[in-house]
Amino acid sequence: MPNEPQIIEIPPRRLQKVIEALSFATVDEFAACLDLLKSAGQRTDEFGELETAFTVFVEELADAKTALKDTLGKHEQANRDLEAKLQMIEMQQAAIRDLSTPIIEVWAGVLCLPVVGIVDSQRSAEMTESLLEMVVTKQARTAIVDITGIDVMDTKTADHFIKMAKAVRLLGAQCILSGINPAIAQTLTHIGVDLTGVRTMRNLRDALQAHLRDTEQLTPGQRRRAEIAG
Amino acid sequence: MATTESGAEVQVAPAERLIPVRRREDALGASREAQRLGQLFGLGKKRAAELAIVVSELGSNIAKYGVQGEIGLSFDTDGLGTVRVVARDVGPPFQNLEIALTDGCNDRGPIDPADILGRRGLGTGLGAVLRLADQFECRQDAGGKEITVHLRREPATGRRRT
Repeated sequence: MPNEPQIIEIPPRRLQKVIEALSFATVDEFAACLDLLKSAGQRTDEFGELETAFTVFVEELADAKTALKDTLGKHEQANRDLEAKLQMIEMQQAAIRDLSTPIIEVWAGVLCLPVVGIVDSQRSAEMTESLLEMVVTKQARTAIVDITGIDVMDTKTADHFIKMAKAVRLLGAQCILSGINPAIAQTLTHIGVDLTGVRTMRNLRDALQAHLRDTEQLTPGQRRRAEIAG
Repeated sequence: MATTESGAEVQVAPAERLIPVRRREDALGASREAQRLGQLFGLGKKRAAELAIVVSELGSNIAKYGVQGEIGLSFDTDGLGTVRVVARDVGPPFQNLEIALTDGCNDRGPIDPADILGRRGLGTGLGAVLRLADQFECRQDAGGKEITVHLRREPATGRRRT
């Protein structure tokens, strides 16, 4: 019977099993699916071949899924590591900005050291060294240290700051401290520092004007305005 | 593990923010983070800056002497708004803690002024920590040091030593 279609008879229970196995596979329950498929035992008829092929397929699918999960897990871990590192880099960049103390020659012979961030004892020592070096190399007549951006200083650090101002004077330049806030003013008076030889100004603008007045670089109009301002 | 002055364990232990410190940049990063978290936590601007100075000084010491270590920050350890800073490192212990706490000194004695100008620092770091914090505790052995300080939300009156 060469051309006659073959008919296979399958008991509904057997078919039901495969359908159940398939639904297990759809929801990623591969273990249950495989248990069900193998519980039937190996059969050699055509449908048995289909069952075997399906079993192999599910086994491979399960393996692939596990591998995928592993890879995703690793990726997630790598992402977390990367984020932690980025966070660390951001913190360090901010720190480097804090660390660098730019000293700007704002006018001929006038150096300005704007201090922002947190001033601890070591940073205070670093600033002193840089400022004194710059006063010498730039032959500055005035050094303005602006601490508007500083909220708090330890007493000893503040003391060192005043010493820095005095050291500038020893180098033949004048040092103007500007932008002292109330908390630091209290700290300074609390420790009873001797402020002779250190000029203080309310802000950077006043400090610059004081320098210009001293060196008489103001135009008459500017001088009048400076006098009115204080 | 946190302990009170009497040695009893503190039960309230919110998550500790741990920041590894190896170099000076790390210390400054930790300091900024402390200031940020402090302000988020509700410390005043001034107190948050004081916390940042404490962290910066302790962190710089780790970078300078401690080989490597970490700064741990915990907020509200006692339900009263206290901030705890723990600085751990694996460096050698202080030869003399009393001297190390003295301004102008490291743990062996006064610092040479040439070293101060050579950017090594003023030797006033631990002194600053002592002045700004409300409670200071140091444990150490051959394997390293652990300094624990507590800062109350508002500084206690008359606590400053000068």
